[in-house]
Amino acid sequence: MAEDLVLDTAIRDWVLIPLSVVMVLIGILRYFVSKLMRSSPTPDAKMVKEGQVIIRARSLKFGANFIPPRSFRTRRSYFSNEENGLLHVPKGEGSNPQAQMFSDPNMAMDMMKKNLSMIIPQTLTFAFVNFFFSGFVAAKIPFPLTQRFRSMLQNGIDLSTVDVSYVSSRSWYFLNLFGLRGLFSLILGDENAIDDTQRMMQMGGFGFDASKSLSAEKDGLDILQHEWALPRFEQRAESVLRKLVK
Amino acid sequence: MGSSEKRPKDAMNDIPTFSAENLQNNLKVIQNSRTFLSIIAGVLAGIIGFTGLTGFVFYFVVMLITSVGLMAKAGFSADLYFDSWNRVLFDGFLGGLMSFVLFWTFAYDLVHIF
Repeated sequence: MAEDLVLDTAIRDWVLIPLSVVMVLIGILRYFVSKLMRSSPTPDAKMVKEGQVIIRARSLKFGANFIPPRSFRTRRSYFSNEENGLLHVPKGEGSNPQAQMFSDPNMAMDMMKKNLSMIIPQTLTFAFVNFFFSGFVAAKIPFPLTQRFRSMLQNGIDLSTVDVSYVSSRSWYFLNLFGLRGLFSLILGDENAIDDTQRMMQMGGFGFDASKSLSAEKDGLDILQHEWALPRFEQRAESVLRKLVK
Repeated sequence: MGSSEKRPKDAMNDIPTFSAENLQNNLKVIQNSRTFLSIIAGVLAGIIGFTGLTGFVFYFVVMLITSVGLMAKAGFSADLYFDSWNRVLFDGFLGGLMSFVLFWTFAYDLVHIF
């Protein structure tokens, strides 16, 4: 039974549009607040050194084929030499990232700030929507869904014969939550397309685990086979120049 | 990609070398264009009044047109501008889907129900 309900224009004026506008504005606000609140952590000299060593090792891996075999081997042994190679971390000294994380007050504060700035607006808006906008049909989604979604999408509406396409404002809120991601990436510039869902996924793995990444780089270098890609570069240069001159 | 031809891959050597910064820029361009077009497609679908499966088919058609457009802009040789073909064709498909659905619902409701 798919009769077409006719909904009041006031719903459109006072529910759909304000809710979307509010969510966009809150997103923009959150972006600026997080930008203001971002405290620059004083970098730890040891961490910076290790980071730079890793970057150097990666560049070596990337450009390995452009240097003669002997120089590559020299550089590689500089990095992965057993006694004093830069990437070699003795077993006992691997720093425990978890302990470091919690003993460092700056990092803990940053994490908490990030979490709060993410969760609070979401919770507040959700409560706001539930309080003000419950109990009526808010919108019609243009595609049909199965009956199982009824309890999720129509929570304020107590009639069970209404088509599942007619949803309450809570589902309009969720739809906005996911759909405005793309809009934010267009408005706020490309770096800040991250929103709640992506940040929630990122919360699982964090922390700069120095020792593991060092040994990973070392293994990568050890595995690398050197293929000398410019064996006859004089002839190659000659042919390129000839092509250019022609 | 734009008017300043940013080629991450140097075609003079036979060895593939990539400039990471240009590659990233090209990917950003793809994502921006896809997002923008999915929003516009959503509004269009809502105004025309597609419902159900037709709307999703419309979305895929628009995404395909986007892919063709991007390929044409890249001169049909994706190797010069990107590291793999799949990126040009399929990146950002699903990301745009949510925006499409949102604007589709919005436009459809505004025009047809209210």
